[in-house]
This record gives sequence, structure tokens and C-alpha cells, in this order.
Amino acid sequence: MTLAGILLIALGALILLLASIGLFTLPDALSRQHAATKAGSLAVACIVLGAALVGGDAAWIGRALAIIAIVWLTLPVASHVLARAALREQAETIDCERLPLFERDDRQA
Amino acid sequence: MSNLPIDLLVAVVFLAIALAVLRFVRGPSDADRLIALDILFAAAIALCAAAALHTGQVLFLDVAIGVALIGFVATLAWARLISRGRPADPPADPEP
Repeated sequence: MTLAGILLIALGALILLLASIGLFTLPDALSRQHAATKAGSLAVACIVLGAALVGGDAAWIGRALAIIAIVWLTLPVASHVLARAALREQAETIDCERLPLFERDDRQA
Repeated sequence: MSNLPIDLLVAVVFLAIALAVLRFVRGPSDADRLIALDILFAAAIALCAAAALHTGQVLFLDVAIGVALIGFVATLAWARLISRGRPADPPADPEP
């Protein structure tokens, strides 16, 4: 139980690090949002579940399931709102010639 | 249990925090800073789990629940603040 918890915690920490690396290196706001929110939610779920397994009590597992439920219910909404804000801001800050975000097929010739 | 896994967790989470703070400082648009804030809240939840493991108290998981709720509300509020006053649809493409 403890070993499984430690493995889950290590996996979650690696996923969080990957999300952060993606946040740092990806070129524009939409792809950064794609890297950050999904991997971030998975990392939080892994870390909290691993902590609950290491703790090994019913109170730990109940609170961990509550955290996972909250994160998995709210992060898709937050990710959608983030993507909308990035899209509305894109026209002012991102160079559309350099980064064609939504290039259509029929204009590609 | 020994403290080595918790120390490794805290070290990796601090590395992630450093990258997110760099993106927060550098990020060209406000949406980038908002995404970095999202990662910072995820790292805060991870640090709460590490504190709960280190002290052996379940109380810090309650703190993590609070941090998750506050992070959601903060993300919503700041996203509304960014996208207020901007057109609802992306503007038409410039001439090809």
C-alpha cells in the first residue's frame, strides 16, 4: 500500500514537471493551456491519491476523493474559460502571420 | 516511512514552480500568466499533500480542498477580467 502510494506520488510529480516544462516551452497560449490543464489535473489526482494510500486511513481517502472530484469537475471549466480568454486576446498579442493558429484547409493551396 | 520520497516530491514541485514563475514573468499575454497561475495552484495542492504526509495530519488535505476551490474561482474571475471588453468572436482573418 505504501509502495503503491509512493509510486503514485512519484508519477504525479513527474507529470506535474512535464506539464510545467510544456508550459515553459510551447510556442503559443492555446498549446500552453493544452499542456498545462490536462496534465495538471492528472498530476494533482495522482499525488493526492498517492498521499491517501500512504496515509492509509478512511479520512485520508475520503478527503483525497473529495479533492479529486473537485479538481476533475472544475478544471475542464477552467480550461475552457482559459482557452476562451486566450482566443479573445490572441488578435491583440499574437502575431497571426507567424503563428497561424486556425489555418483553414481551403486557404492552404 | 522515511522522508526521502516527500523530499523528492517537494524538490520536483519546486522545479515545476520555478518554470511556471518564469513563464509568469516572461509570458507575452495575460492568458499565459493565467495558465501559469493554474499550474501554480496545482503545485500548491501538491505541496499541501506533501505537508500532510510530512506531519501525518489529515488537516492539510482540508487545506488542499480549499486551495482547489479558490483556484477555480480565481481562474474564472481572472479569465472574465481578461476577456472583458474584447469582441466575443475572433476577428475576421486578415487578407491572405
